[in-house]
Amino acid sequence: MSDVKFYQADVSKWVKRLGQESLTKALKRMVLIRQFELRAEACYQQGQIGGFFHSYVGQEAIQTAATAAMGKNHWWITTYRCHALALLLGATPNELMAELYGRASGNALGRGGSMHLYTDRMLGGFGIVGGHVPIATGAAFAIKYKKKKDELAVCFLGEGAVVQGAVHESLNLASLWDLPALYVIENNQWGMGTHVKRALAMHPIAEKLAPAYEIESYTLDGMDFVGCYAAFSEIKEKILKDSRPILIEVITERFKGHSISDPGLYRSKDELQAVMKNDPIVHLKELLEKEQWLTEESYKKMEKEAKEKVLEAISFAESSEWPDPLTLEEGVFKDG
Amino acid sequence: MQTVDVREALRQAIDEEMTRDEDVFILGEEVAEYNGAYKVTKGLLDKWGADRVIDTPISENGFAGLAIGAAMCGLKPIVEFMSFNFSFVAADQIISNAAKMYYMSGGRFHVPIVFRGPNGAAAQVSSQHSHCVEAIYSQLPGLIVVSPSTAYDYKGLLKSAIRNPNPVLFLESELDYGLKMEIPKEEFLVEIGKAKVEREGSDLTLVSHGHMMTLCREVVAELEEEVDIELIDLRTIKPLDIGTVARSVRKTHFAVLVEEGHLFGGITSEVGFQLQEHCFDDLDAPLTRVCQKETPMPYSKMLEKETLPTKERLLRAIRQTLNI
Repeated sequence: MSDVKFYQADVSKWVKRLGQESLTKALKRMVLIRQFELRAEACYQQGQIGGFFHSYVGQEAIQTAATAAMGKNHWWITTYRCHALALLLGATPNELMAELYGRASGNALGRGGSMHLYTDRMLGGFGIVGGHVPIATGAAFAIKYKKKKDELAVCFLGEGAVVQGAVHESLNLASLWDLPALYVIENNQWGMGTHVKRALAMHPIAEKLAPAYEIESYTLDGMDFVGCYAAFSEIKEKILKDSRPILIEVITERFKGHSISDPGLYRSKDELQAVMKNDPIVHLKELLEKEQWLTEESYKKMEKEAKEKVLEAISFAESSEWPDPLTLEEGVFKDG
Repeated sequence: MQTVDVREALRQAIDEEMTRDEDVFILGEEVAEYNGAYKVTKGLLDKWGADRVIDTPISENGFAGLAIGAAMCGLKPIVEFMSFNFSFVAADQIISNAAKMYYMSGGRFHVPIVFRGPNGAAAQVSSQHSHCVEAIYSQLPGLIVVSPSTAYDYKGLLKSAIRNPNPVLFLESELDYGLKMEIPKEEFLVEIGKAKVEREGSDLTLVSHGHMMTLCREVVAELEEEVDIELIDLRTIKPLDIGTVARSVRKTHFAVLVEEGHLFGGITSEVGFQLQEHCFDDLDAPLTRVCQKETPMPYSKMLEKETLPTKERLLRAIRQTLNI
């Protein structure tokens, strides 16, 4: 990615501003996401979880930074790779795990599953590549219509979605109508097994695409929490001030397959090893250690706590009731 | 009372609901400055301004999805499709997002939205502008599908559709925009999900909806001296009011089903199947249906007439069913 000009944050300034507490909290969240993903994946392999399962492992810094820097009180929309965002926006590991288990106590009553998770401010988890981007644009429209000055709509999409018409129509409408929308392309390099360079004719994506719609763009290093945090802070202020959309490309790489059933044969073991060396959790941990804000011991404790939370969620899910078949046909339509 | 055409009935419904609820707005191609491709939204821009009467680019997938997102966040959009044939461009939004959201989210988000516009054939607009979409969309749990045939029902049902917390596809007929009728000046609603016995009769039940009701009325009048037909307007396709139809068939013992859309897997197939579930022992003859033939819509006047249900075909179906 030598052709990419990353957003340059003044790291020492931001580290100082964030301080030990905020950075530790962020690391804790990222560790929880990773533990959730890894352990849920193990449950999947034991046959407890079915369907599709898309892991966020490797990409944790991005949504952790976005939610921490911009606050939760916006509309949030993402793809089927949605466990992390739901956790970050306040869904409990228990309700999420129960949803993956298909239980009545699940986040969406066991009806949505891994790809369709929600919170009061998260419109989903959407399963059709690019199909959620107009939804996010509509959330930004609603914010503007209601004249809310302190909210924006944040939409995460993969680089694979960029070739969908829905994305281009959304960017056009958001620009044309001055909507407070932030589109975050998480470029994890792979649209399932197809490398971005075999799928998309423009690189770097945001830098090339945004000017066509007269939108401002940023390119971020998705493995760098502090850099992402700094950028999201700046971008939020810009969007709220100007009521104009912004397009970001965040360069990242997932450590797992597209979904659980993907053996990842398109990457050699050596290549994957190299990718996994660039780990956003390790980077943030090392930064905290350098500042002497974290010891190996306190990190182990953090990991243990996260693991316990997830294990508790697993036993909650396991002991939760299945949905009552009598409720099957309820709730197709809303009463009223 | 006031005499209005369907176009004016629709305009009044939109205007009244925009007055009642400031979260109601309308968007679509040419709805604002052009005053609507079929003038349904005439004058609304002047009255309500560009924040609530919104011209869109030719970007159905984008603006339909945008409206669904806005509905999930608390607004009540009315989306005008210049033709329901253009809804196919937005099918992913209607099907994957609007129809499924409430159930898929375990009731966390609902989508109070109306998609409206002309459906089916107009006059020689050929294959890509004449499709009847009700059979396609009625197949999807989560969508309400409405297809009125009189100015009174157009107005009352559109008002109910706008107030409904679910996605409603409101199907109009370009050929019926000019149909006039006397309707109350006072506010009224028509309930979604209720068929209407438009004419009571004892010999045969004739069931249809939308623009084909015009054809049915003509045939009922023509046969007046000969056959006492009970004419039912479904008005709402989904949820289907099979009760009203079944009650009628139990009385008349004969039924002919008419639909502008295609024969295969159409609305008449569904109504017919449900009738045999409910009225098998009451029927004195097989059900007969009159539908569009299995061709894309041809341009030529001659062929267009031939593929659509005609008066001759309907008369023949009724005579055959009654063996007269």
